[in-house]
Amino acid sequence: MTNHLHNWAIIWQLVKGDFKLRYKGSMLGYFWTLFKPLMLFGVIYLVFSVFLRNPMQNYAVFLLLGIIIWTFFSEATMTGMNSLLSKRDLITKIYFPREVIILASVLSSFITLLLNLIIFAIFYVSAGLMPGVTTLLFIPYLFLLFLFTSGLTFILASLYARFHDLGHIWEVLLQILFWLSPIVYDLSFVPEAYRQWLYLNPLTQFISYSRRIFLINQSPSLKQNLLLLIISVGTFALGYYFFKRQEYIIAETI
Amino acid sequence: MTSAISVKSLTKTFILPHQKRTTLKESFVDFWQRQTYEKFAALSDVSFEVNRGEFFGIIGPNGCGKSTLLKILAGIYRPDSGIVTIGMADKGTHHAGTHSTPQPLSIASLLELGIGFQQDLSARENIFINGTLLGLTARQIRRLLPGIVEFAGIENFLDLKVKNFSSGMRQRLAFAIAAHIDADIYLCDEVLAVGDESFQKKCFETFASWREQGKTVVLVSHDANQIATLCDRAIYLDHGQLKSTGSAHQVIADYHAALAG
Ligand SMILES: Nc1ncnc2c1ncn2[C@@H]1O[C@H](COP(=O)(O)OP(=O)(O)OP(=O)(O)O)[C@@H](O)[C@H]1O
Ligand SMILES: [Mg+2]
Repeated sequence: MTNHLHNWAIIWQLVKGDFKLRYKGSMLGYFWTLFKPLMLFGVIYLVFSVFLRNPMQNYAVFLLLGIIIWTFFSEATMTGMNSLLSKRDLITKIYFPREVIILASVLSSFITLLLNLIIFAIFYVSAGLMPGVTTLLFIPYLFLLFLFTSGLTFILASLYARFHDLGHIWEVLLQILFWLSPIVYDLSFVPEAYRQWLYLNPLTQFISYSRRIFLINQSPSLKQNLLLLIISVGTFALGYYFFKRQEYIIAETI
Repeated sequence: MTSAISVKSLTKTFILPHQKRTTLKESFVDFWQRQTYEKFAALSDVSFEVNRGEFFGIIGPNGCGKSTLLKILAGIYRPDSGIVTIGMADKGTHHAGTHSTPQPLSIASLLELGIGFQQDLSARENIFINGTLLGLTARQIRRLLPGIVEFAGIENFLDLKVKNFSSGMRQRLAFAIAAHIDADIYLCDEVLAVGDESFQKKCFETFASWREQGKTVVLVSHDANQIATLCDRAIYLDHGQLKSTGSAHQVIADYHAALAG
């Protein structure tokens, strides 16, 4: 019990350290975190909305939400995968439960996500949209997104500690995944025959769920809620189990 | 006498990859073939017992497995076979009240040139991270901070990145943190290796106070004199095998005899 609480104290210290590492020596500091997804958003908006004349209503809000969630996912998995390696000095010198490193790393990205959501809120309100009661579902949603991403990062990080090629592979996969998730387009654009395949991508569930709460203002069906819950808790449990099983090898091979 | 650490038939092997490929062409040809591996016994069938309140030395040539042994005791490496048992703390000592179930003795480790630091963070940030990793709360660390800084002699360098510390300063900082942790067992690997004389004096003072408080200390060193002056008993390892166990003086005599012969 006290040990458990103490693990959170460790996570908190590591998160503080991560933030200092990330923004130390950069003039604009935190601003960069906010700037990166906005840049991506700006370019894609220009191409799809201005050049290709996408007629979709509230496309800016639609796109920004997708990009912010995507940015969290890709950044959290990439840096999380690296986190064991970047903390190897700690791992090889002190015994502590190794999962705190992964959780701290994902939590750092998660805090960035929360900061990005402030920008989203500004966009959202200035587009004349108003949050409804269903928007409250976003709170448990964020928690599930954190679980899902951590679970996946557990798996990636334990593989990466041994096979460094995974860094390159994951980078490529992320690029593919970006286009195969409904971030810049809506699922309704996708021909029926392909749509079912996109549903196999867990990010599809996450992104369309968030849009449902914010843009359609419609409460997701029981099936959608359950699916999200199962994907998140399942991925977390699987990742955690996988990680714990080979935790002890990490200090030796890293 | 009750035992603090009991080690039975400890064996640890590492897998060493074999890199036979020398030319580019060979690498291409070999690409799909499995790399060959060799098993390397870093520790084989090592058993010994450390008594509570004892200073226990580990001596032996480079690469004989001393640091590996300490890492296993610290829980960082897992042995292939063998058992490490940590003694149970007496009830009503410093873990007072919180648990009625007996707790194993707490361990603080100071391995190979310092506790792990995050090189790009300042000394202050590292003190907080390491202190927390070693079991302290943020409040306890804030309380101990002046003492740690004074002990390490880094008053003006508290906000300097640790990577810009000299290796001696880093070692002092690591030792200063460990010295302020209230553990039952201290594992020290070459702590005195790079410190200057004034620092060594502080280390010896800390060892003396640990002895007074009845702490258990496991000390790895190349310096037979240090083992002789500090330790009650010792072991001598060579190529992962236990060559001698006994009083520090006896073990050092065996070690020197082996070196001479
Ligand atoms: N993680 C590891 N993977 C592979 N081999 C390892 C690993 N850790 C240690 N070894 C090997 O185990 C052997 C013992 O290493 P160890 O660090 O325990 O030696 P040592 O007695 O502390 O030496 P020194 O006096 O130089 O500090 C060495 O040959 C080393 O290469
Ligand atoms: Mg060593």
